[in-house]
Amino acid sequence: MTTDAHTADQPYLTAKGFCITSGLWLVVATFMGLLGATELIAPDLTENIGWLVFGRIRPIHVNLVLFGFVTPGLLGAAFYYFPRLLRTRIYSDKLGVVTVLLWNLTLVAAVVSLAAGHTQGREYAEMIWPIDMLVVAVFVLVFINLIMTVRQRREPVLYVSVWYVCAAVVLTGATFSLGNVIWQPTSGALVGIPDAILLWFYGHNVFGLLLTPLAAGVAYYVIPRACQSPLYSHTLSLLGFWSLIVVYTHIGTHHLLQVPVPTWLKVISIVDSVAMVIPVMAFLINIWYTARGRLGAIHADIGAKFVFTGTIMYFFVSIQGSMMALPQVQRVTHFNNWVVAHAHVGVLGFAGMIALGGLYYVLPRIAGKPLYSRFLADFQYWMVLIGVVGFTSVLTIAGLVQGHAWLNGETVYRVIPQIHVYYVYRAALGLMIFISAVLGLYNILRTLYFNPGEAR
Amino acid sequence: MYFPYFASYILIGFVLSLIVFLWALKNGQFREQQRARFLPLEDEPDRAPAPTTRISRLETWALGLLAVAGLLASAAILVYALING
Repeated sequence: MTTDAHTADQPYLTAKGFCITSGLWLVVATFMGLLGATELIAPDLTENIGWLVFGRIRPIHVNLVLFGFVTPGLLGAAFYYFPRLLRTRIYSDKLGVVTVLLWNLTLVAAVVSLAAGHTQGREYAEMIWPIDMLVVAVFVLVFINLIMTVRQRREPVLYVSVWYVCAAVVLTGATFSLGNVIWQPTSGALVGIPDAILLWFYGHNVFGLLLTPLAAGVAYYVIPRACQSPLYSHTLSLLGFWSLIVVYTHIGTHHLLQVPVPTWLKVISIVDSVAMVIPVMAFLINIWYTARGRLGAIHADIGAKFVFTGTIMYFFVSIQGSMMALPQVQRVTHFNNWVVAHAHVGVLGFAGMIALGGLYYVLPRIAGKPLYSRFLADFQYWMVLIGVVGFTSVLTIAGLVQGHAWLNGETVYRVIPQIHVYYVYRAALGLMIFISAVLGLYNILRTLYFNPGEAR
Repeated sequence: MYFPYFASYILIGFVLSLIVFLWALKNGQFREQQRARFLPLEDEPDRAPAPTTRISRLETWALGLLAVAGLLASAAILVYALING
């Protein structure tokens, strides 16, 4: 074990900025989710309040979870471990702070414009062109900071987390530009089926090529650190990385199996969706073998506890995802709440859990003081865990009711009353997650500022 | 006419991936795999967390009670839904 003079006493301003960003927008994002869930129970709740109707709240919730909570949380951890793994300082903390400020400005602009009804009307790509350009700009700034840190590194070998984070930022910058059709500022879209193909190429990749690699990067750093055990196999981790790059980029069309997309494209998307088992299992085997016999150490560290739970959720969501790409399964599961359940396991259960884990792992280290309250962090852990498992159970049941009803030719208006009770459960679970998000933000701010704990 | 966009993206993506992979190969990124396993550990070990003060413990309990109140609200909604659903 060595203390490196080049990494000691860093201010970690960028990491701090991204951690606060993540905690803050988690509160707003979960509130929007709760509001949307409540509107599904009582559609008249926000009647005549245009900027609060479900059609505007839902894209705000989704975009904030994606770009406001999970991505900044994972980047906050990355900006902590990059200098440590590369044995150098971060290239520019000033650039990092500017990036964080611009990132938050982008999020505010996204919320205001979507609430005002300015949308391009494409799922996950709703934001209008000027905000699309801001998103691209912040990803370019993040990339410059990270790649220049890599360039000035004193450690010749790039650890797998570095590969994952760099790839995530580059691929998302490119995929976002293409998927949002930024060369068509007025519509942000192509026309007809080509647009659907492009949209779902983007829609799936924005999760798979942004959240998945960023989360994998955090897990590959936090689990060996918490267990004080070397990674089971770095070769296997690189195999997982390159296979993810090859396989994940083709699977978006599995969202379009019911529409007149070329059959060859559907076949590729299904085959590669099933082939996702290769990068997924390469990652999970590696992490779980690293932690084998050291679960006590994981339990003792709240950050590692979040991260490890996230990997278990990754197993479930990936197996489910491969299965859902099969046309026979999708006849029942598509176009209903099953998919919403799947999305919550993936984004909150897997990437969100790991984002919170990364955040709680790095917070005491960048603050130089212990976490303000382990109790609050544990409380948040259980609330998110119960919330996401509850969401999955409730929405999966609702989805199966819907899927089978529609297969049997039942009309929509007769099915909605049957699933109403599940919507109530979902709102209750959403309330739990929102409360834990508020307490989580308090814990983050108290850890970074006004922390009475003894300085390390 | 959308194929040129897709084809260009595939081509650029493939070429860039190949360049990065070949750079990694030439740069010895796949050689020291045993040492790479230990990279996260080549850092100062974590210290045990310091004990918290009495006031912060009280504050934590107060927040905990607030959280339990929120949970009870959630439970109340569930019970209401079950009774009136």
